[in-house]
Formats: sequence, structure tokens, C-alpha cells
Amino acid sequence: MRASTTSMAGVVAVAGVASLLLAACGSSNSSSTVAASSGSGSAAAASCNGKKIAFVMGAESDPFFQAMKVGATDETAKQGAELIWQGDPKEYSPATQIPVVDQVLAQKPDGLVLIPTDPDALQPEVVKAVAAGVVVANVDTHVTDQSQVLTFITGDNADGGAKAADAIATGIGYKDGTKYKVVVGLTSETATTNVARLEGFKAAVAAKYPGIEIVDVAYSQSKPEVANTNVNNWLTKYPDLNGIFAIDGTNGQGAAAALQAKGLTGKVALVGYDAYPDNVKLIKTGVFTALIAQDPATEARQAVDALCTKLSGADTSGIQKAVVIPNVVLDKNTTDADLTKYTYVA
Amino acid sequence: MATTDVKQPSSPVTQVVAPTSRLKSALANQQLLLLIVWLVMVLGFSLKSPIFFSVDVAGNIFADWGPLVLIALGELIVVISAGIDLSVGANVGFSGVIAAFAMKALTTAGVASTPTLLIGVLVCVVVGSLIGLINALLINYAKLVPFIATLVTLGAASGMSLVLTKGAPIMGGPAGGIMLSVPWIGPFSKPVLVVIVVVAVMWAFLHKARFGRYTYAIGSNAFAARAAGIDVKRHIVKIYMLSGFLAGLAGFFFYLRLGGGAPTSGYGMELDAIAAVVIGGAALAGGVGRVSGTVLGALILTTVTSGLIIVGVDPSWKRVVVAVLIAVAATLQALRKSEGGAS
Repeated sequence: MRASTTSMAGVVAVAGVASLLLAACGSSNSSSTVAASSGSGSAAAASCNGKKIAFVMGAESDPFFQAMKVGATDETAKQGAELIWQGDPKEYSPATQIPVVDQVLAQKPDGLVLIPTDPDALQPEVVKAVAAGVVVANVDTHVTDQSQVLTFITGDNADGGAKAADAIATGIGYKDGTKYKVVVGLTSETATTNVARLEGFKAAVAAKYPGIEIVDVAYSQSKPEVANTNVNNWLTKYPDLNGIFAIDGTNGQGAAAALQAKGLTGKVALVGYDAYPDNVKLIKTGVFTALIAQDPATEARQAVDALCTKLSGADTSGIQKAVVIPNVVLDKNTTDADLTKYTYVA
Repeated sequence: MATTDVKQPSSPVTQVVAPTSRLKSALANQQLLLLIVWLVMVLGFSLKSPIFFSVDVAGNIFADWGPLVLIALGELIVVISAGIDLSVGANVGFSGVIAAFAMKALTTAGVASTPTLLIGVLVCVVVGSLIGLINALLINYAKLVPFIATLVTLGAASGMSLVLTKGAPIMGGPAGGIMLSVPWIGPFSKPVLVVIVVVAVMWAFLHKARFGRYTYAIGSNAFAARAAGIDVKRHIVKIYMLSGFLAGLAGFFFYLRLGGGAPTSGYGMELDAIAAVVIGGAALAGGVGRVSGTVLGALILTTVTSGLIIVGVDPSWKRVVVAVLIAVAATLQALRKSEGGAS
């Protein structure tokens, strides 16, 4: 009896340590991969008939990639190609992405659209793909050496940050000579999109709005309730807070809830990022001063189009090496048609 | 079995069913220690930043404490039974998301706010309890150790949350929901007051009722508990379902705070719950732990979170502070155990 109790305790203790280790690695349990869909279109005027186009994205769970999938599905169907859409369910990391790319390459696609989760770690995968005769395009992020990549199509996060600064300034009625306090809610210190948006935001504030002081930043670890706690405490700490830049959808949700609960809707300017459907609705009610929307569907369409042009042997001189798709500012002046167009699918 | 029990008059089961006064006082010390740690924290943060000592900040701290203490109490019961429940964080997100879909549909159909919210809380606790039931079935009949069983449901629940929502928050429920999370009496919102009642009920369950005696008995020595006539499998079902129920309730708490469900809500929160339980003096080996310790453990964790933001220290330091607290609490626990063994 005693022995078995001890061994049980041992198991539990080991389990506890293991769970802490799991947490330390920041890894989720879902390291497996899921094939999301594969459909083949049958458009008559297709230039890509019978070709296989593979898409390997960052993290399936992100609405950004869901919106991208819509563009990819549309365009491959239109071009008559078969789409292989894959990526890790949750984790945005090279460790989980590299095996997925290998698996996709084993299916011998004709073209590969890769959203590299790390510019260097994914470089060998691009080399491998090109050696196997696969045409490669990058979307959103790119590998370090672009020489073997047909085209790189991206939204501009720094530009998005700068547009957020403009939107905040408009929202608070910025006047030179007046001091304003603004905070920024981020997801993590290291997420590259966060870093680029924050840099763009800071640069625009420094250049155009010297009266705005960024008094604090905090991290939500992708959890809206943590973002909510951060904003609640900021509102206590800075009773005269003028504006919040919520750098992604999660921070937007947490901040929107905090402002509504404290009755500060419209009193504190809130600029969010990403056009989640339920956040877009909050523009109308004045909770969000503005949302910065990206256009992932267009990014995907252009990438597929470029690959198909190349694969069909047509003239490729029209394909640019790098294409930047600008961000869009959605606010109360945006038309309903545009709001619908830029809202991510969910 | 019975003869072995006779040969060991000081078997763990008897020790726990009737705790020795020394064990009792040692545990009481831990609670007192925690209270002192918490008061020192409050004093320190207040000295550094006087605004910390305000009803507003207390309101923020209790708003965080509510859902955490709910899942931590579920975790406490599981830990006392010598198990572990890794699924509570994912359960919070999943139950919140399912309830958010239900409440959105009801609101769209024109159902009034109050009945919608009542159905919402019901959906949360039913979904939460079902996940707990699956945990128990995996443990009892698939013979998985609790760590693996609840790792399975963690993955399934958090994955399903993402699949169903496609990663986006689900709002569009009753408009008044969010205002319920606003402080009502002093720093306490209505949901926080409900949580305090739940804490009291859990205290009675664990320390005054047969449910608690069985739980301690199973955690101290499952074989002896079975020999003593406890239906261990049945009790395991109750324990994990209760943990799931509390996680579902926490899911609803978050729904009210955010005015919507989010698939990433509660992600990784099982570790905060385990931290609160361990800081509160429970032993992962089972058989030891008090509601009061867990309540204080959760309060210390949420005080650190708000305190660091208010004084303007990088919140990443919270992890370091929590790590130190866990190390100290676990060391105290180990010392107490070795002291007990020497007698």
C-alpha cells in the first residue's frame, strides 16, 4: 500500500514538473497538423488547370489566416488549381511549421505559397522546394534570401502602426501644444507583427504628434481577459488617459469591454487592429474610434495569380518581386460596403 | 487489506480523517504566512504608488480573482485526491464560447436579457461538467493517469474552441451582460459576490462534509479508501465533474467581463490554478490542502498582476515572483512532510 502511494505521488510530481516544462516551452498540446481543405475548381478559362498549389500558413486559428484562406480558395478555384491548405492549428513557430512544409512537399505540389514563421529557419525549406521544381511565393513574411522566391506579397505592419497613430490623433482631437497620454496593449514582446506595428506607431507619434506621450505598454499573451485587466488598471492609474492603441484583436476585445464597463466609450479613443466581425460592429457604436484592417484575402489572391502565371508559362514580366498591400482604416465614416469588404470571415 | 490496516495504526487514512493537532497548526501557519505575504505586498505596492490602495484597484484585483479562485478550487479538490486537472483553462474558453454562441442566438431571436444570461450560465456549467465527466471516464475506464486524461481534454477543448470560432471572439449577446461585471458594493461586482458564496460552499463541502473526507481519503491512499468502503470510481467522477463545473462558471465570469466569448480565454490558466493551489499549501502528492490557502494563493497571484501594472514594473516580472512563491511554498510543504515522517 505504501509503495503504491509513493509511486502515485511520484507520477503526479513528475506530471506537475512536466506541465511546468510544457508551459516554459510555451508549447501547446496541439503540435499535430490538420489538413484544412482541398478543393479543385473547374473554371473554363483557368490558366492553372490541374496544377496543385500548396499554402503553408502560420497558425490556422488566426482569423487573419482564415481570411487569407478565403482568398486562396477563391483564386485557386477560379484558376482551376487544386489547393492544399495546411499549417499548425495554433502555434506560430518554425518548429511546428517545418514538418508541415516537408509533408506538403511530399505531395508534390506545382506551386508553394509559404508564410515563413522565421526568415532563416524556413530558408532551407525554400531551397528544397525549388530544387524539387516547385515555384515558391512568400506572403505576409518572407525568407531572408529572396533570390529563389517568385514574389513576396505583404501587408505593411509599420504602415498600419503609423495609420493607428493618425487615427488616435484624430480620435482625441489632437492639437499642438497640448499633452496627451496614450497606452499600447500588445500580445508579446517578440511577435514580429507587434514589434513592427509598435515601431510604426512610435515613429509616427514622434514625427507628427509630439504632444502624445506613450506612457505604458503591457502584454496580453493572446488572452482577452489579461488585456482587459491591463486596461482596467491603466484606467485607474491614468484617470486622464486619452487613447489606447490595441495592437491586435485580442487586445481590442479586452480594451473594448473595459471602456464599456467603465462608461468611457467615446471618452477614451480606442484604435484596434484587425477586422474581426464583432469588433467591426463596435465601430458603429463608437467603442472603437477606428480599426486598422489588413487585406489577407487579396494577398492570397495575388500570390496564387502570380504562381499560376508562372506555371502556365505565360509572360512573367508583370510579376513584381515585392508587393505591399496597404492597410485600410475603418472608422465611422467608412461605407457599409467597405466595412463588409474588409471584415474577416468568421 | 484489513489486516494490513491493523498492522499500521498510523496509516495515512486515519491521519487525515482525524488530522493531528500538530498537522492542523502547521497548516494554520501556512495560511497565516500567506496572509502576511499578501499584506506585505499590499503595503509595498501602496507605498510605491498610493493609488494602489483604492477601491478601484481592489475592484480590478477581485475581478481577476473571481475566475481564478473558481478554477483553483476545482484544481484543489483534484489535487487533494492526488490527481491533476490540466483541462480547466481550456474548459473556461470552451464553455464560454459555447455559451456565447447560445446567447448570441437567443439575443438575435429577441429573447430578453435576463433569461438569456440564465441560459448562458446553465450552458457554461453543463458544458464544463461534461468535460469533467469525460476526464473521469478516461481515468476510471480508459485507465489513463489524470495528467494524460486531462491533457487529452485540454487539447480537444481548446482545439474545438478555435475550430468553432475560427479564432474570432463571439459577441452579440445580451447588451447588459458586461455591466454586471462592474463593482456593485465597494470593490465587489455581483459575479464576485457569487464567487464568494461559491467559496463558502466549497469550504463546507471540503472541510465539513463527507465529500471532503472521501476526497482526502482517496488522495492519501486510494487503496485504503477503497478498503474502507468508499466507491472510489464514483467519487472520482464527482471530483472531476465539480472541477469542470467550476471551470464552466469561470467561463461565464469571463463572458460577463468581456461581453463575449473568446477561444483563447483561459489559455494556460491551469498553471495559474496549480500555482494558487501549491502556494496555498496543497501537496501535488495528494491528501493535503485547504480552501483558505487556495483562496489566499489566488489573491496573491492577482494582487501581483495588478500591483506590477500600477507601479509600472514590466508585468513579465510576475512570472518570476510567482516562481519564487511556488518554490517557497513547496519547500515549506516538503519540510512539514519530512517532519511528520520523522515522528
